Amino acid sequence: MTTMTMAPAAVALHGVSRVFGRGPAAVRAVDDVTLDFPRGGWTAVMGPSGSGKSTLLHCAAGLERVDGGRVLLGDTELTSAGDAELTALRRTRIGFVFQSFNLIGALTAEQNVALPLRLAGKRPSRSVVRATLDAVGLADRARHKPRELSGGQQQRVAIARAMVTGPEVLFADEPTGALDSTAARTVLDLLRAMADAGQSIVMVTHDPGAAARADAVVFLRDGRVVDRLAGADARGVADRLGAWER
Amino acid sequence: MLGMSRAGLAERWTLFVGALLSVALGVALVQSSLLLLISAAGQSSDDAAVPMLGVVLGGSVFLAGFVISSTFAFTVDQRRRDLALLRLVGGSRGQVRRLLLGEALLLGLTGAGFGVPAGLGVMAVQTWLMRRFEFVPPGFTGEWRMWILGVSFGTGILLAVAGVLVAARRAARVRPLEALRESGAAARVMTAGRWVAGLFFFAGALALVIVAPHGGPAGGQAMAMNVAMPAAVAMVAFGPLLVPVLARLVPFGGGVLGSLARANVRDARRRSASVAAPLIVLVALVVGNTGAGSSFTASGVDELARSTHADFVVEAPVPAGAVPGVATVSAETALLADVTVGSGDERETTALDALVIDPRAYAAVHGTAVELSGRAVARGPGGEVPARGRVSVRLPGADLGQLPVVAAVPERMSGGASLLLPPGLVPAAALAQAPTRSFVALEPGADPAAVRAELARLGPVNTAGDWLRADAEQRSSTTNKVMLIVLGLGGLYALIGVINSIVIGAATRRREFAEARVTGLTRAQVVRSALLEAYAVTAAALVLGAVAASAAFFAVLATTSAVTGAATLDLPWPLFAAVAAIALTVTGATSLITSWSATRHPPVSLLAARE
Ligand SMILES: Nc1ncnc2c1ncn2[C@@H]1O[C@H](COP(=O)(O)OP(=O)(O)OP(=O)(O)O)[C@@H](O)[C@H]1O
Ligand SMILES: [Mg+2]
Repeated sequence: MTTMTMAPAAVALHGVSRVFGRGPAAVRAVDDVTLDFPRGGWTAVMGPSGSGKSTLLHCAAGLERVDGGRVLLGDTELTSAGDAELTALRRTRIGFVFQSFNLIGALTAEQNVALPLRLAGKRPSRSVVRATLDAVGLADRARHKPRELSGGQQQRVAIARAMVTGPEVLFADEPTGALDSTAARTVLDLLRAMADAGQSIVMVTHDPGAAARADAVVFLRDGRVVDRLAGADARGVADRLGAWER
Repeated sequence: MLGMSRAGLAERWTLFVGALLSVALGVALVQSSLLLLISAAGQSSDDAAVPMLGVVLGGSVFLAGFVISSTFAFTVDQRRRDLALLRLVGGSRGQVRRLLLGEALLLGLTGAGFGVPAGLGVMAVQTWLMRRFEFVPPGFTGEWRMWILGVSFGTGILLAVAGVLVAARRAARVRPLEALRESGAAARVMTAGRWVAGLFFFAGALALVIVAPHGGPAGGQAMAMNVAMPAAVAMVAFGPLLVPVLARLVPFGGGVLGSLARANVRDARRRSASVAAPLIVLVALVVGNTGAGSSFTASGVDELARSTHADFVVEAPVPAGAVPGVATVSAETALLADVTVGSGDERETTALDALVIDPRAYAAVHGTAVELSGRAVARGPGGEVPARGRVSVRLPGADLGQLPVVAAVPERMSGGASLLLPPGLVPAAALAQAPTRSFVALEPGADPAAVRAELARLGPVNTAGDWLRADAEQRSSTTNKVMLIVLGLGGLYALIGVINSIVIGAATRRREFAEARVTGLTRAQVVRSALLEAYAVTAAALVLGAVAASAAFFAVLATTSAVTGAATLDLPWPLFAAVAAIALTVTGATSLITSWSATRHPPVSLLAARE
């Protein structure tokens, strides 16, 4: 816990709320959450289905409007940022990885990875793109289209696409949710190596085994942070999760 | 960005082929109509050809603009998720807009590239039709002009870019999060733009319906014939609201397929509306305009029958008192006159029909009083000259100089001569060559057979009833020919638009179909459910097209009532039935083929690639 408070936060949430719908049908998906995601650390977010994990991640990444509170990326206020500013942030300081890999089917792995750079108006050098693909172990698949890749490979291309801009924070929503255990382990090894190299990562997961690879775990229930855990193993995480899901 | 465009083109090729086809055929239709209009105006051809080609050109531009913009909007809609993904990885709004505009530019250029040669084919067909129906002399040909290249490419690019402009603005506002929703979040059903466009065109159609009865026979007919277009556009604009509601009324049958189809229609409102759009326009134009045309013809015939008090019509002069048993003869000699109205800058000379009449006999036979004395003339039932004032009249071989117009007979639905001249005015030489038709009324108690035999010695005789019927048939066959030329190719183009939108709709449903199949539906069941859905949407489109057409029928009823005193509606039901049958056949067949082809791969292969 000490490291969390000492290092400046990569992303900080202050009293953030997000409500869907109105009146009696309103759902407080995120309910007054105050939370720091430390710089250079890997935080896992867990909780029962529908507890607001994805919504929290989207709010933290500036993808979802918040109804109350503030979100800070480093010292940039996301809550008041306009569309152009958020777009620029997505190009340079934020990376995303999702459960369904969301690659562009028309483009090869290489082109998918180069896309954020090209959108930012840079001419991506082939070597940078190749090096990024190499880092996720897919240098030999550069010219394949997503449908010619396995699920685990597609997810690794998605990670390469998120990392190619060198973002401050990598957001991942159940990155192993659609993968078998071997492919999942490859992806988690990759994230662990990135975190060890100083990458800030925020990851939503259902899998206690995956959460145990992170530095810290935050538990969510009904849109509120109910618990946190640092340095636990899979068994410890599973026990704690079991307690909150009851 | 262009590389991205190119990759996109290759991947979603059905979308782009659809868009390309709409541009190419639109350009072809516009180019052909424009070249023919220019050629007809230049060559000496029948007077009827030029205004008709004007209508064809206007209709082509409208249809091309409509089909292209709705196809483009649809393709953009279908790619919402792709575009959201682009936004998610850092694409800006401007980049999304530029991507779509760049594609439109490319498609406009390529589409025009195909459209120019296709336009030559369309022109050959249109020329053949017009020669066949004698709107142009047998030697008439459409002429190629070099500048048409500029016009055609300009049209293609302009229509494509304009068509995508609104859609691109909407697409640029797509939220990045939409990329994460599995099936692409449903776009808002009714946008502000749709409301504005819908209400605007609704008001336009309503205004035409209200004003038409006050436009006189010619103006009223023209306005009524123009009601269907704005009414159809209004229906299309409200499509996302109306189509699903109507489609759900279609009996789907109980089973699981029926309820799946019903749910799909409701869920994919914008897709349903996009498939219905060209069909609504097609039905509204064909049903509305043919119905209005045949009603006006019928109304004109009724009016003529009611107002003509004659027993026989003789195609020759019948001298008064020459045949015993004849009470009244109105001998009417038809001349073509160059009539000049106005003065100074406003002077305008037109070739109009003039009729030399005996005022008293004319009044007795046609039931309208005409008082003419000296050099005074009257405005005839064809209108086109002022009811009071002066006109200069020049006949072949005789200049009559300035004549006062002192009276006017009521304008007729069926038209007729524009000027009525008293007998003394026209030199005998000019009269001698002109055809004369005599309307003959019998004395009470005269023997019609005997009188007819006597009249037959002077020239061909018909009973007034037979003559009216023959006249009506000729009139309506002219209307039908005009309709065929005006609506034929345009209707075909709209029909291709319908096929287009079904193909585009199905192309992006492969995944949905695959999901249905892994849920337990067989391939045949998926195809049948898609067919049910297509039928429901088609039925809704037919109803909305019919509603738009009825707006035109309201204008027809009001106009015929105002002009002739009797509201008339005479609808070609067999044609309507044929339109409905064709629409159902085409949409059914297209849906079958596209959904069959979209399900040709085993479902797992589609679900495996989670793009
Ligand atoms: N766009 C939306 N509109 C309305 N309600 C929403 C929307 N997105 C999420 N919700 C609601 O907010 C709550 C939290 O949803 P969220 O997706 O954040 O849950 P989650 O913890 O990620 O669940 P899971 O583990 O199943 O992915 C849920 O009750 C959900 O129904
Ligand atoms: Mg979630």
